[in-house]
Formats: sequence, C-alpha cells, structure tokens
Amino acid sequence: MFRFKREQSIVNVGGVKLGGQPGELPSVLCGTIFYHGHRIVEDEGRGIFDKKAAKRLIERQADLSAETGCPSVLHLYARSIQAFQNYLDFMDDVWSGPFIIDSADASTRAAAAALVSEIGYADRAIYNSISLATDESEARSIRDSEVDSAIILAYNPSQPGVDGSLAILENGGQVRAEGLLATAKDLRITNLLIDPAVLPLGSGAGSALRFSVAAKARFGLPVGSGIHNAVSSWPWLSQKEAAVRKGCDAAAGVMQLLSAADFLLYGPIEMADVIFPATALADILIAEAVHDLDTAPGETHPLHRLV
Amino acid sequence: MREIVQIGIKGYEETWPPVRGDYQVGDPAAAVAVVTLASQLMLRGAAIFGQCKTENLGVEKIVANVISNCNIRFLILCGVESKGHLPGNTILALHKNGIDEQGRIIGSDGAIPFIQNLPPEAISRFQDQIELIDCIGIEDAAQIEELIVRYSRMAKPYPAEPFQVIKRKAAPRLAAAGDGDLFFGAGVAMDTTAWIVIDEAVKGAAIEAAEG
Repeated sequence: MFRFKREQSIVNVGGVKLGGQPGELPSVLCGTIFYHGHRIVEDEGRGIFDKKAAKRLIERQADLSAETGCPSVLHLYARSIQAFQNYLDFMDDVWSGPFIIDSADASTRAAAAALVSEIGYADRAIYNSISLATDESEARSIRDSEVDSAIILAYNPSQPGVDGSLAILENGGQVRAEGLLATAKDLRITNLLIDPAVLPLGSGAGSALRFSVAAKARFGLPVGSGIHNAVSSWPWLSQKEAAVRKGCDAAAGVMQLLSAADFLLYGPIEMADVIFPATALADILIAEAVHDLDTAPGETHPLHRLV
Repeated sequence: MREIVQIGIKGYEETWPPVRGDYQVGDPAAAVAVVTLASQLMLRGAAIFGQCKTENLGVEKIVANVISNCNIRFLILCGVESKGHLPGNTILALHKNGIDEQGRIIGSDGAIPFIQNLPPEAISRFQDQIELIDCIGIEDAAQIEELIVRYSRMAKPYPAEPFQVIKRKAAPRLAAAGDGDLFFGAGVAMDTTAWIVIDEAVKGAAIEAAEG
C-alpha cells in the first residue's frame, strides 16, 4: 500500500466524510434503491413501491454502517421526477443521511436538483453525474440549484483508458472545450467526487483501477466507482449461482478499494450484507498496511471497531 | 468426411458472432437480426436477437456482429427505448449519418453516443450491408416475428467477405521513470505517469555506476 505525495482533500456531504489518504477514513458505501428492475418497485414511472420492503433495506444498510463504521449513502434512482418526489417523501421518515440523485433521464436529474433545493435537502444531495452528456440545459439546472456535491464521470469514449479519462477531467480531451472539473466548479459544485466510469469486463473495466490511483495523485480529490457494473456485465458469471456472483461483487469492490478508492457505488442495496463486511476487511487491511506511513485511521474506522 | 468451410458461400465464420453480449443466436444463415432495445423478448427466425441498452459500447457490438455475417441484411429495431441512453435513436443516426472525427455519432440524441472501437470502414460497411427497420416501441413478439419472415424472403447475402472487426491494440509505450509522486515507504516510490515503482536506493546505485 502507499501514501500520496499530494495532499488528499476530504469532503463532507451531509455529515459523511469522503477522501483522504488510503487507510485514513473508512470507505463510504452507496447502495442503490429503486433501480431499474428493482422488485420492490411496482410502477417505476410513478414511483409506487413496497414501503415496508424499502424501509427494511434502508435500515439494514444503516445498521451495517453503524456496526462496521463504514458510512453509507442512499443512492436514489428514479425514472421520473414524480417517482423521485415519492421516493424523497418516503425517505424523509427513514433516512437522514446523504443521498445520491440519479436517473438515466437528464431532465429528471435536473428537476430533482431543483426539488431538493426547494425543500432544503441540497446539502445532503450528491448529483450523479456531471459528464460528457451534460448539456447546457442540464448544466443550467445544476447551476441554478443549491446542490454543491456531484460525481464527475471521467468517461472519454474518444480516448479510452487512463490518459483519456484524465484528459476529459483536465481539459476536455478531444471532445469538450474545457475539462469537466472546470465545468463542475463553474456550476458551483464544491464537493467533487471522481468516478472513472467502469466499462464492461473485456472492454477496459480494469483501467478504472489504475485511473483511481492516478486521479488521486493528480487531483487530490475523492475517487470511487460502480465497479459492480463490470461484474454484472460478465455473461460467463451470470450463469453461475448467486453465492459465486456475490463473491465476485465483493472481490471487485475490494480491488477498487485497494486501488485507493474512497467510496463504492456498490449497486443494489440488497448487496449490503456482502459489501459492508468485505469493505470493513479491506479497510482494516489497508489501515494496517499504511500504519508506518504516517497515516492514522480515524476514530470511527473499522480497525477500531471490529478487531 | 470433414466439411470444408467456404466463407464466400456460408457468409460467416465458425466463430460468429465474434463479440460477446446480451443476445441469443438463432439461425446464422437467416437474413434478419433484431435489437429489442430495453425489452426482453424471445423471437424465432432471426439470425441473432437481443437487448441493447447503451448508445456507445452496445451499439458497437451490434455493428461488429452483423457486419461479420453477410447473410444479415436487415436489422429490426424494436422494443422500448432505453431512457436517456437512446440506443435505438443512436443506431438510426449512425446508419444515416455516420461518425465525426472524434467518433461521435452524428445526429444522435443519446447521452454519450460515441464509437471508440470500430474503424470508419466498419461503419461504411454497416451502412451499406444493413437496412434498418424502425419498429421502436413495438413489443409484440408475434408482430416482430411476422416482420422477420417478411424481410427474410426479400434478402440475398451481401456480396463480400464477412467484415471482421479486430480490436485495436495500443502500441506499447516506453515509460520513462521520473520523480516518484506516490510513496510506498522504505525508499520505494511510484511515478503514476510512467506507472513505474522505483526503489530509490537501486536507482541511486545505478546512476553512480553509469557515471563511473
């Protein structure tokens, strides 16, 4: 394990800290709820869902977070702004921590940013994401909102690999007039979280690992990814039984953490029972590995709780 | 007796389809391929059918798999469009307009519509070999199977060899070791530009030896 020469910034979103040197802070785990195809959702468009099941899942993530010391974030995925509003109304009673605004639809994301600003939740919200796909209309909505935390997606299809991902953040590479980091700052985002954009396995998924180290060395910003997407995109694995798939999910997440990630978008919130212990294990091993590199784990670190 | 495979007659190689993905292969000699976009459908009569949810890598896989089989002349786009990504809209745009110098698919409304792993010749071949049948929104399997039958009757194999997309391999780059910017301790450093782990003691000894 290692320590970055460059100072590593730590951001605070709704009381949860992300970033720092490897081994300094516990890894932050973001479980997705109401995702496309989530069986607890009856109507994705209107946001009708099984509230008891949702409450159970959210509480389970929170319990595991309290037990391990790895902070959690609720990753809210919505198909429409109506659905997002319903999810938010429900969340009010069961979750007081940070949450991620996410949708495949840009207008839904933009409307969600306005909504959380209107009801006073902006300081708990993380916008997912600012990317090559962010057009002027979406950018205006972000700028006009009070959301100041966002994931910056370093996906550069014109130059795949680590260099291209760094370029799109720094100067836009060959496909944008300016870098995404500058764009994010222009949109009044102060808490920047870098996501390498994990490609399918066989299409370059592994570069996310090396990019994570390079991005922290270059920018000193928190980095994390949804590396579970590489696992779920693997047709060979999809034929295997659930325990095998879960093992691979945990392994991929731990590899990302070993590559200096500060947070994991670990996918379906049902995976919390697998991911939290695996992450706690990784955090403890990393903290022990950097013990004599002048990196002291924080008070809430799993090292102080579980061993 | 061992069968001699003649590509010119058969229209595809034994290893077809060359790119793995979320699809099912039917009869490789059939003339129709079907993209069901975000809908999960079971279809009969197609050479290959399956979902496509992304406007970049997913589209690339479809192009690579259809142009490597000369029998495929029609690509039916059906099922529900994947929101935000719009791969159906993107395939239509790719076929109509192609890509620009950066690989961006011209005229696509998808979020990040780029081709990164296909040469321009593959796009030209796709435009030339394949006729698109735009049925986006239709999820009725029986209706789509009728279209498969109808278009299968209208086709003759594309008069050329199958187009094989070969993955580009990046040329190896000679990394130059500079000052380390990432430290493992004990005098071991890593230059994250060159991605080289350097032991300062070994490096120092080497410099001394070189300087005589």
